[in-house]
Amino acid sequence: MVKLRDTWLVGLAVLVTLVFFFSPTGLQGADKKEIVIGTPLPVTGVASQEGNEERWAYEEAVADLNAKGGIFVKEYNKKLPVKLIVADIESDPGKAAGAVERLVKIDKVDLLLSSFAANFVMPTAIAAEKFKVYYHGNTCFPVVWRGAHLKWSTIFFFELDKGAEIPYQILDTLPAAEKPKNFALLMEDTADGRAFGGGLAEAAKKYKWEIALNEPLGVAAKDYSAQILKLKSKGIDGAILFASGGDCVTFVHQMKEADLNLKYLHGYKGTWNGDFWKALGKDANYVLCDGFWSEDWPYPKGKELGERYSKKFGKRSVAIGLYYATCQILWEAIEKAGSVDSAKVKDAVMTNTFKGTVMGDVKYNPDGTAIFPCAAFQWWDGLQKTVYPFERSAGYKVKAAPPWNKR
Amino acid sequence: MTKKRLLLAIIIIAACCAVPFVFDPEKSYVVYFLFMAAIYVTLSQSWNLVAGYTGQVSLGHHAFFGLGAYVVAILWSRHLIGYLDPIGIILAGVAASMLAVLVGIPLLSKLRGDYFALGTLGLGEIMRLLTIQLGAFTGGPMGILLPSSSFGTILPHYFIALSLAVLSIAVMFYMTRSHIGLALVSIREDEAAAEASGINVLKFKVLSFAVAAFLAGMSGSILAYYVFTIEPQGFYGLNWTLYPVLMCVLGGAGTMTGPIIGGLLLTAVFEIARYFLPEIHPIFSGLFIILAIMFLPTGIMGLRKGAPQKGSAGAFDIRRSLKRAKGG
Repeated sequence: MVKLRDTWLVGLAVLVTLVFFFSPTGLQGADKKEIVIGTPLPVTGVASQEGNEERWAYEEAVADLNAKGGIFVKEYNKKLPVKLIVADIESDPGKAAGAVERLVKIDKVDLLLSSFAANFVMPTAIAAEKFKVYYHGNTCFPVVWRGAHLKWSTIFFFELDKGAEIPYQILDTLPAAEKPKNFALLMEDTADGRAFGGGLAEAAKKYKWEIALNEPLGVAAKDYSAQILKLKSKGIDGAILFASGGDCVTFVHQMKEADLNLKYLHGYKGTWNGDFWKALGKDANYVLCDGFWSEDWPYPKGKELGERYSKKFGKRSVAIGLYYATCQILWEAIEKAGSVDSAKVKDAVMTNTFKGTVMGDVKYNPDGTAIFPCAAFQWWDGLQKTVYPFERSAGYKVKAAPPWNKR
Repeated sequence: MTKKRLLLAIIIIAACCAVPFVFDPEKSYVVYFLFMAAIYVTLSQSWNLVAGYTGQVSLGHHAFFGLGAYVVAILWSRHLIGYLDPIGIILAGVAASMLAVLVGIPLLSKLRGDYFALGTLGLGEIMRLLTIQLGAFTGGPMGILLPSSSFGTILPHYFIALSLAVLSIAVMFYMTRSHIGLALVSIREDEAAAEASGINVLKFKVLSFAVAAFLAGMSGSILAYYVFTIEPQGFYGLNWTLYPVLMCVLGGAGTMTGPIIGGLLLTAVFEIARYFLPEIHPIFSGLFIILAIMFLPTGIMGLRKGAPQKGSAGAFDIRRSLKRAKGG
């Protein structure tokens, strides 16, 4: 029988081992061999699809950089390769801060790359703030980030209020006969969903669109038939849908089954991934999706990056350009700073214009934000046709969806 | 407590106090690891009181944890309390225990076993949704951002968490060795017999529930002071119930040291898995938990010579507890 003493000894042995394991290792100092960049991402859990997409883009950016020998850092008078360390936050905001602790205290990262989405970016950026490690952020609405008054991070994303206006700007381009008469907002019951829903409702007033129905959508509900029947009974013929990929697929499936005909369906978050088309096929035609970028845009290396992604995953992406450009900006900032010191790198990010990224030329504002316009695409035969920004649409005009029985 | 055990406890506490002076808290992960372990030990001990000693399996600890965090966040963001304010921490505990009394009286008087567990699970969800619905008061779905510029060093957070863990152990020690402890154990073993022998069953159940909630609320407030961003998904996450349950069961529910060992061990297992097995750590952690529950149903402390064995009156076995409540 195990004695109490033995239990204690085992426990103590575990602790001692852990103590040595977690003890700090020596710093690289003058013989620095690499630049260590950490990124807290949702590699597992509900946001893992987006997290792993961002991870892929970061890893490609690191590989492309290292293929050229790395970044010349004046402080060390040599080129240094970048080592990327990914810490899984398990799609749980409660674990985000812990991931940054591991990156800073165990992996001894020099700098931090963004997590995905506001509810993960904010806790990780705030954790970075405590350690005064520069956090190069994206995918967080600037209005949310500004509210935290952070000094050690920057954000590269679109403004919430501007993004919320896009559906109405697009709707205004439709001929009168094709415009929906009764409009609905269907926002998933999450932080992003509610925040975006508020923005969309405000933008509707500005563009004089009346919202006939504004309803929260259950996350992973599996059955939206009751809600769809409600939309039908109210004569809803246009909607903005903010939900995850699986939920969007379920919704469109059940829309068709219930013969709910929406002339205009603008999806956010869940309709942008290629899996949406894979799951629905031609039923996805006419559905709009958001996105940050397109390989069809005339930015350097954009096409090649998009093709690399399509070759590996068998689908296109409207997000990887943002993540890749985030890295391009950071690499150039480190070179311009001549150092991996957080203060110097952040200063370099703030004071330089970054030309020729896959997102075009990027310049940060004095408040630490760099803004680009959110995009809108329409699914058409497996491709995402740019609808917005209008100057990027190459003449493509949004199509209003005919009834299901006429498709 | 014997003099030997008291001396051992003092030595361990002194060692924990010395850790930040041996390992640089700004550079070493050890201090943060022990900080989180202390929070989990507090949560595990508090759950131990309700489930291990009183036999009421609660799955709503995250409701009290989250409420504690939000009390501090709401008060601090309105400048009613300051950074690491002891009044805020105590108020967090008081608010959580008030919720426990409010909810505990109807739940504990009407529900037992699985039904009580489900009822408390629902409480966590209600609190999360309520927090989102309250809009500007709670920050809605985005939560409340606290001034992270107040942060200087992890040291005060560490010592507060450590003190709370010691307090939770002390509370457990004195409660369980008093007439309250006798009442709780008798309720756990046979509620009907306890009632028949004159024990006010509802009163003692609600008492243990409220004390447990007090400790859980305080631990939520301590974490809120450290992470500075309090939002519903993170602080009302089910992990704040499931992990303490696992830690308590693995260590040995119904014992004093079980939650401590379970808390330290599982925190270490999760951290090691995340670090060395980043792609598959949920699988590893899950397997570890399954194997532990299968082969150690009375926890590590159940391995002691002379410890109550599985199936005996003195052992807490979660499966037995739920089965008994069902009438099996």
